Amino acid sequence: MNSEFCLSCRDIERYLGEEESRVHALRGVSLDVEFGSTHAVVGPSGCGKSTLLYILGLLDQADGGSITIASERVADLPDEEWSRRRNELIGFIFQFHFLMEDFTAQENVMIPMRRLGRLNEAEMRERAAALLEAVGLGDKAQRPSRHLSGGEQQRVAIARALANDPQVILADEPTGNLDTDNSQRAFELLANLVRQRQKALLLVTHNRFIADACDWVHEMKDGRIVSSHPRGQRISV
Amino acid sequence: MTAPFYIALRFATHRKRALLLSLVGVVFGVAMFIGTQAQTQGFSQYFIDSTIGSNGALTIRSRFRPRYEPLIVGSKSTNANAAHRLYFEGIDNASEIMRVSRQFSNVVSCSAVLRGTLSVRAGFENATVDLFGIDPPLYVRTTDLAKQLISGSYNDFQNNTSSLILGSRLASILDVVPNSTVQLLTPGGEYLRFNVAAIARSGVGSIDASRVYAHARVAQTLLKKPFAASMIVYKLRNPDRAPELAKHFEDLFQHDAQSWQEREQSTLQLFLMLRVSVALTVSLIILLAGFGIFNVLTMSVLAKVREIAILRSMGYRRSDISAIFLWQGALIAAIGSLIGCLLGAALTWGISRIPIRIRGLLYADHFLVIWDWRHYFEAVLLAMIAVFIASYVPARRAAQLPPVATLRGSSL
Repeated sequence: MNSEFCLSCRDIERYLGEEESRVHALRGVSLDVEFGSTHAVVGPSGCGKSTLLYILGLLDQADGGSITIASERVADLPDEEWSRRRNELIGFIFQFHFLMEDFTAQENVMIPMRRLGRLNEAEMRERAAALLEAVGLGDKAQRPSRHLSGGEQQRVAIARALANDPQVILADEPTGNLDTDNSQRAFELLANLVRQRQKALLLVTHNRFIADACDWVHEMKDGRIVSSHPRGQRISV
Repeated sequence: MTAPFYIALRFATHRKRALLLSLVGVVFGVAMFIGTQAQTQGFSQYFIDSTIGSNGALTIRSRFRPRYEPLIVGSKSTNANAAHRLYFEGIDNASEIMRVSRQFSNVVSCSAVLRGTLSVRAGFENATVDLFGIDPPLYVRTTDLAKQLISGSYNDFQNNTSSLILGSRLASILDVVPNSTVQLLTPGGEYLRFNVAAIARSGVGSIDASRVYAHARVAQTLLKKPFAASMIVYKLRNPDRAPELAKHFEDLFQHDAQSWQEREQSTLQLFLMLRVSVALTVSLIILLAGFGIFNVLTMSVLAKVREIAILRSMGYRRSDISAIFLWQGALIAAIGSLIGCLLGAALTWGISRIPIRIRGLLYADHFLVIWDWRHYFEAVLLAMIAVFIASYVPARRAAQLPPVATLRGSSL
């Protein structure tokens, strides 16, 4: 496997459901995501985008194929090791931000850091404050997450995904709940960070402007990547 | 502070009402356990102290020899051995036995007693009494008789061989007080007059209703026994080791030796049964508290499915998720036990203040309690076990939740 790839998968197979309702969700999907690049996965609902994202994010087990993150094959590792790599190497951003409602914005950002356990309480607070500052929420760090607007919550989720300085950022419709301005701002934030810090961003989106702004766009249909285009090539979303 | 503990703390404090309900169950269960154990064991301990204080921790009685000679007689560790013995009333060489006994480190003191049954008369009242002929200076060192006096003086008894000490209930039946006169009926049909020097209350109903103490020489005259002592009573440093010493004394002296545990076996079993019965009943409260916690945590798991999935996506392991819910249970158990222990102590104090008139097996004017750290330890242990079991299932269930199923719910 080429070491210039931050995230890579080969021939991923995945079946969902049981017996008669069993669906072949992913049919031999292969993908390479380089360091410092942004990749968008587009396609109609039910084509397997999110399934691919969860498998690459080590949240779901593929029925076949291999996954490599930071030059290490990870598909066959036990659950404990998957958890450790999710914590250290992967940052997730979900459509519905999925913040912990009982926690403040700062405490939400600190949750992955607590698990990693590399920083003390003061250092964690400092880093969380810096990340919230970076997403424009420095003044709202102590606010309970449920008292933030949708756009603000999504920015907290972005800050949280970056908490442990992961190599791979996986985003499932990260701007799906945001208006155009907020969508643009959130994406630019992520894209800049990925390029500056040589990380990798793979996002699933229905937003053609966001997809167009990525370095690569992969179009999926019926569980397959039917085409991959570098930036600038016109696609139909 | 570990990450699971921190999150558990936040989850628990966020659901204050559920936390409070769970706490109430544990607090109530622990407090009730402590209070009832203190009270039931209080009566039991009072009985033990009274009976040891009155009859000694160990007694040596009749001499025996094997029924089938020349078999060597062992101790009566089995009933079969005891059945093969011939008993002879009275103790041979009581002085020698006492001299040898005092060499044992567990023996504090011992005293010979000549015991028999007589009739007593005072005015128009008659009663059958259990006469203890004692050596006053020796007996007072071996038992709590001096402490048990509720009126009169032990010195008056010691200095006057024509005086007696009467059990409190017996004195009440005969309607006598110190300095009253009573008459004892000898086996020859003759009444002899005695002065009542003191009244004693041991606290054990059967003793207080029948016991009369007289000087040993007087008792020997009254009872007309061919021996000087019918038993030897012992005060031991460690009364709990009385059975071992009794066995040893039997082997050594060829006399029947009985520990207080054996002597009061039936009463002690009654107390034990009562205590176990109450403990079982109260344990049900803790068990119910456990069910309550099980429900609260199960509901918490259901309510936190989304949060569990988020935590898993951020790299929290299954064991971390389990730990979050186990910590919540542990928090409930710890806080509940602490408050429960404090409440249990208050309950024990409160129970000890409840006035109650007991004039049967025991003599008491209020509830008797015992302060024993083991009650607190047992209650906390029981609560911990119940809460752990109650927390384990929801915790395990939380850990097994597949995060992707929850996360898929928002985007396909």
